[in-house]
Amino acid sequence: MGLFADKYPDVSYEEKSRLWEQVKADPRFPTYLYGCYECGICVAACPSARFYDFSPRKIAQAAAREDVELIFEQMNDDVWNCSQCFSCNRCPRQNSPGGIITVLREVSVKNGLKSAKQALEGYSRIIYKIMGTGTQVSPDMLQPDAFPDWGPQVRAVSADLDVWRRALPPETLHTTSTGWQVDDKTIIELYLIWHHTGVMDMIAEVDEGLHMILNDVMEEKLEEAGYEV
Amino acid sequence: MTATADFIPYNAVNTKSSRSFERQAEYAPEDFHDHLFELEAEGEWIVQRVPEPYVEVMTKFGRKKKIPLELTWHHKSCGQCGHIPGYSTAIFWLNRKLNFKYIDPTDQTSCTAWNYYASATSNAPAQAGVAMRNFAAAYETGYFPLIHCGTSYGHYKEVREEMMHHAEMRHQVRDVMKKLGKPLVMPEEIVHYSEWVHAVRDRIAALQTRDFSNLAVTVHPACHYYKLVQEDAIYDPDIYGGQRTATVSALIVALGAQVRDYSTWFDCCGFGFRHILVQRDFTRSFATRRKIQVMKQEANPDVVITHDTGCVTTLDKSQFVGAAHGLDVGVPVMSDAQFAALAMGAHPYRVCQLHWHSTEYRPLLEKMGIDHEKAWAEFQEDLKELKSGKKEYLTWEDVG
Amino acid sequence: MTSDTTLIIGGGPAGLEAARLIGDLGQKAILVEKRDALGGIPIAEHYAALTHGFRSAEEAMNELIAAARANPTVDIRLSTEVVECSGAAGDFRVKLAKAGNGAGETVNVGAIVVATGFQHFDPGRETQMYGYYEYDDVITLADAEKMLKENKFVTPSKDMPPERVCFIQCVGSRDRQIGNEYCSKVCCGISSKQAIEIRQQVPGAKVFIFYIDMRMYGYWENEIYWPAQEKYHVQYVKGIITEIIRKGDRLLVRGEDTTMGRPMEVPMDVVVLAVGMEPSKGTKDVAKILGVKQNKYNFIDVPHDALDPTATSAPGIFVAGAAAGPKDLDDTMSMAGAAAMKAAALVTKKARAMA
Repeated sequence: MGLFADKYPDVSYEEKSRLWEQVKADPRFPTYLYGCYECGICVAACPSARFYDFSPRKIAQAAAREDVELIFEQMNDDVWNCSQCFSCNRCPRQNSPGGIITVLREVSVKNGLKSAKQALEGYSRIIYKIMGTGTQVSPDMLQPDAFPDWGPQVRAVSADLDVWRRALPPETLHTTSTGWQVDDKTIIELYLIWHHTGVMDMIAEVDEGLHMILNDVMEEKLEEAGYEV
Repeated sequence: MTATADFIPYNAVNTKSSRSFERQAEYAPEDFHDHLFELEAEGEWIVQRVPEPYVEVMTKFGRKKKIPLELTWHHKSCGQCGHIPGYSTAIFWLNRKLNFKYIDPTDQTSCTAWNYYASATSNAPAQAGVAMRNFAAAYETGYFPLIHCGTSYGHYKEVREEMMHHAEMRHQVRDVMKKLGKPLVMPEEIVHYSEWVHAVRDRIAALQTRDFSNLAVTVHPACHYYKLVQEDAIYDPDIYGGQRTATVSALIVALGAQVRDYSTWFDCCGFGFRHILVQRDFTRSFATRRKIQVMKQEANPDVVITHDTGCVTTLDKSQFVGAAHGLDVGVPVMSDAQFAALAMGAHPYRVCQLHWHSTEYRPLLEKMGIDHEKAWAEFQEDLKELKSGKKEYLTWEDVG
Repeated sequence: MTSDTTLIIGGGPAGLEAARLIGDLGQKAILVEKRDALGGIPIAEHYAALTHGFRSAEEAMNELIAAARANPTVDIRLSTEVVECSGAAGDFRVKLAKAGNGAGETVNVGAIVVATGFQHFDPGRETQMYGYYEYDDVITLADAEKMLKENKFVTPSKDMPPERVCFIQCVGSRDRQIGNEYCSKVCCGISSKQAIEIRQQVPGAKVFIFYIDMRMYGYWENEIYWPAQEKYHVQYVKGIITEIIRKGDRLLVRGEDTTMGRPMEVPMDVVVLAVGMEPSKGTKDVAKILGVKQNKYNFIDVPHDALDPTATSAPGIFVAGAAAGPKDLDDTMSMAGAAAMKAAALVTKKARAMA
């Protein structure tokens, strides 16, 4: 069943249809897919199409045809090649293949697909950083072993990180473990947003270990602030 | 190898066309503001108005957009603050030099869109919730949000569309805001800082102290700036005949430097959101082969100027590997804010913090007439004082 | 007062044909034309050959003009516009004025035929990055017609015959962003015709057509499409171009070769944008002055379409040609005949009723 059968588990047709129904149920879906006349503009503009065997046109076509077998394959493989640049929004029918992919990815994560877990392996420390501290990357992430292909300059940064950060005029930037200084109250608000919109459940599906760590950190801070979740 | 004569400077490209485009008002599409204010009238949310004084600029289909000059709440960028803090510093420095009042808040979270586009470990209401929380935080101070990152900007424009058109999601988010004790606020405009730079470019040029007329520049426009919600981006009939976004290019022209064209202008830089972190071969191949190499071969610029965090990071950091593989790279990269700051005499290390950048930039500084060795020595002195405990931080007063 | 005269607004192919036919019936017609010459777009925009048939556009239009002029009952007014209208079928009072000048004369007519035609889409409003206002070597179908008519098809920036030419279809049509969701019907045929003409005039040139669909209705398939491919070796590639940007001294066009399923970028000397049809300023102005309904795209709305292609929302006012939407020349001439017939019949009936 497809070239990638050995990479991820196959499921029943009913299960594939069920996942597809979730995609269609997303309120944004109707504005991400109208009809496709295969003009190829999306592929022409797409950076990922030049490096991977990836085609936003095929994403739109599979979705328009409701070909759940092909969609399932794409959901387990192709969608992670998209660079989310939205050059494909140039579509004259006003489809957004990148948008369809965003929804496909969300459904994949929400349902804990093995391919989603694999795609996000090695990325979990970033999720922890953004969800837990409110900034995506922090200065102390600039370590030579984290970015070896960025050259020796990273070593120079990491060697003098603390003093280089204090050598920044903006007061909010005197941090090393976060991008800028975020108030505790602000972080609490962020945690509440994650809890109230189902994001914590999504994380639980795709990375149990990460979910546990995040939960601990968040619970502690929330309890201190007097919230019960 | 191409000779100098083959480079296509911006001016020659434009004046070569014999045609000029006149935009007709009758073809202007619906203005989303009508919907915005309708929802406000129905009590759905508060629309935070752009404070005066503001400048009006033209967007893709002719609609005028309001750009506030001051009283701005600076919505910072993760990648800038985390990895290239000279970018954020330069934006604040420009505001201070132009005597514009602003707030640099600690009551601000990341837009979290980098993570969203990278991993999809979030959903539309959560993303809208994060956006609305930040907008409410700005509203509570009375200052108007100015967005530093291109992705935050594009993402927030999308959130605005979703919040306008999906009542169910809007109500869900409003309920979450209630739980946080915050009002539901949508700014009248979502403004990127580079639009602000565009709006004040003549004021910046008036304070220019360094001569940039011998500099050749290639411009990289950020995908998320002009490809998301395409109608809402700055276009100008005097720049590229109004056919490409004018943001950044107009500033370069105002500073007297030469804009040079290249054949992959519309291409993404290759940031990829997750690619630059966990699928890096794509990012560094794309950045070097599709962008830097082409720029070098077709335009031979002294510097690449762009206006987004991810683009600066990608184009700057990827060149090390490119060089290691014998590709034709080696062009320094910085933001329009840092470039403008340098034009106004900013210190390359104290303000523009170029030591955080990867690709060799010192020949560029020399071309700008900057004694970078002296500047570096000054900065080393600052670091000494910080290390010895004589000073805790470098301050705005210190950097001039 | 009931009138036995038909007013024809517009002196292009539709208007000329309607005028001639009414004249042939021995009835009176007033033909008003905004420009200072007859012949409509084919003359004003220097069309080379007509699609299909490859007849010289100028020659064909001159024939229509001569036929209209030959009728003593046809009163032709150049540089004249319609500025006001009142009344109803059988008895309209229409004020005509010299173009740009408000003051004029009021005429009494029994029926009106709107033949105000179309204008080409302005590529400056295009969603894709075609750079029409950046590069002189990006041209429209109309620009190409002019060069072909003079038998001087060149790369504008170099004033030399091109080696590589391509057409980009559907420019300004079939696009939700622009709002012109419809197909402009004739551009596939026109581009193929022009491709053939270029291959005839510049035998060394390679010509490509980048398309979404090839709309080759009826005999266009065998008279234009097959010869273009088989005799003239025009290369048809399914995949629309999204970007045009200068590289060196040529233009780079970027698209997807959907047949091969991969992105493609190729250099071209000249790029021809197959711009679609939009209602002309005359059509939009006249619709409001006459009070007839316009459709979503501001063309004259034809309520019963297939069965009554020349009807408008107002009895006694008929439409012929591209004022009602994208039309090819066959459509236009047929509509002109039908509209003339209906106008003449109306006027005759009213006259009998009075008698």
